Amino acid sequence: MKNRTLIYYVVLLLGISLFSCKEKDGYHSISDKIEGESRPYHGNLSSEDLLMDTELIQITEGEFTFLIPERKGQIKSFACIECHSKPVSQMKGTTAQKAHWDITLNHANSDAMDCATCHNGEDMNSLNTLTGKNIDFNLSYKLCAQCHSSQFEDWKGGAHGKKVAGWAPPRASNTCVNCHNPHSPSFETRWPVQYNTQKGIERKEGLDH
Amino acid sequence: MSENKKWYSLDLGLNKTKKSSGTCGCGNAEGSCSSTPKKEEELSPDEFYEAAINASIGEERHKDGFDQVFDVKMDRRSAFRKLTASLLIGAGAVSTSCSVTTGDKSKEKAQIDWEEQFKGNYKLMTDEEKQGTIERLMRSYELRTDKNISMTAENAAEDVLFGYAFNISKCQGYMNCVSACVEENNQDRNSEMQYIRIHEMKDGEGFKFDKADDNYYHEVPAEGHFYMGTQCFHCDNPPCVEVCPVQATWKEEDGLVVIDYDWCVGCRYCMAACPYDGRRFNWSKPEVPENEVNKNQHYLGNRMRKKGVMEKCTFCVQRTRKGKNPACVEACPTGARIFGNLLDPKSTIRWVLENKKVFRLKEDLGTEPKFWYFMD
Repeated sequence: MKNRTLIYYVVLLLGISLFSCKEKDGYHSISDKIEGESRPYHGNLSSEDLLMDTELIQITEGEFTFLIPERKGQIKSFACIECHSKPVSQMKGTTAQKAHWDITLNHANSDAMDCATCHNGEDMNSLNTLTGKNIDFNLSYKLCAQCHSSQFEDWKGGAHGKKVAGWAPPRASNTCVNCHNPHSPSFETRWPVQYNTQKGIERKEGLDH
Repeated sequence: MSENKKWYSLDLGLNKTKKSSGTCGCGNAEGSCSSTPKKEEELSPDEFYEAAINASIGEERHKDGFDQVFDVKMDRRSAFRKLTASLLIGAGAVSTSCSVTTGDKSKEKAQIDWEEQFKGNYKLMTDEEKQGTIERLMRSYELRTDKNISMTAENAAEDVLFGYAFNISKCQGYMNCVSACVEENNQDRNSEMQYIRIHEMKDGEGFKFDKADDNYYHEVPAEGHFYMGTQCFHCDNPPCVEVCPVQATWKEEDGLVVIDYDWCVGCRYCMAACPYDGRRFNWSKPEVPENEVNKNQHYLGNRMRKKGVMEKCTFCVQRTRKGKNPACVEACPTGARIFGNLLDPKSTIRWVLENKKVFRLKEDLGTEPKFWYFMD
């Protein structure tokens, strides 16, 4: 008799655990669902067509491999050695016309940074790390990463910055200089692009909460 | 068009016209072409009347007395349908058909209106039927405005579940996302409907939506304030879908919560059920200037709505099902908006969820929004 009750309870317990916990699609939460249904995406959708118009280069940083826009073709006065045929020190003080008058450095304070922090006076065609190693203009993010390491981590993972076209693979991310002017990197205050007049009227008349 | 439709067909003889006009090289939809025998296609008023009655009440007219009333299988929906059918026939179709001056165009319009009136719920349609309805809608737009639109009915792709992340430390309140959304999704310009709200909140006070301003107009970012955006969160357990009495809104396979604007009856239960103010109602006929209409449309997305139906953010289904990012993500100048496939372990949205400290609004409600907030 006792055994029977025990079996009865066990069966009941099993039944309850089987039926009561079932959600509609078998998951308790969205994170369970993501975990349960995760698999590498092998669909037909791809951003390749969307990326056709952009010249891209592939980079690998740590575990991440993705595309970034090519830069040198976008700089109007590249290659720099077309003018900078001599080192900067030798060009200073000459009567030649002044160039780059439109650039004012508004990046960190002058104790920390000047032109030579990134540019190499001896070889203007490439950039210059803090330790004096040459960096290609296409890979300028490496310079930024020297100081902005947390932003660099976020950018590699995809939390900082913008994608070039779409969400579908292959991943193509804008690089630092596509959004930030390297000589004046912070964003300026400006007016919002729109104002909702209808909402304004409704609020004024107390039609909205 | 598929043969085994779930609604009555009213054949005004246009299918035949199409075939014959195909063989004739004049390419003119309206007006006659000498090689086409025109007489055959036009129904006489009597014939049309017969056909219309047949379509609306069918076999019932062959029954007599009692049977007419009692021997009918009818639920409320079909009763309503039949009522509307007779109204429509009375008012629209007959007048177009009986009139001598009506051209093929208005007849085609009547045919399309008929088919559209009695089509089923998009959720239950086969791919063929979906194709049929978007073709009718495109043709109808062409007949009404002489302009072409492109509408698709792409289904959800496999292994895709859309998710969104919003970086509160990056948003500066420029509202580029809001205007890009309006332009992309053909929202009513008169009532200035907007899916996205950007809330300006005071530093140090946390999320206080009642004290926040979502319609500011001054230089941003304003001193001592931070900004965050809300829109439809495409909940995995959406309360708005639960309450819809006609199942005009549902969750697609890729997680998008969508609306069939042609099935919606405008009761606004969903609007009341949504805890996030994600849904909008068309109190008047939505109007968009012809030159501003976005002509790349999706049936479930930015196609033109009508008065009295609900609408909302669809994560730009017309873009995202082609692999693009939603318009707001693309427009954001600060990169505060991250979009991607939650099921792809290599996607950036997954990296955000796994590496940043994320949270969602009103998580305790169990709505499971697929829209996360995070900070740098």
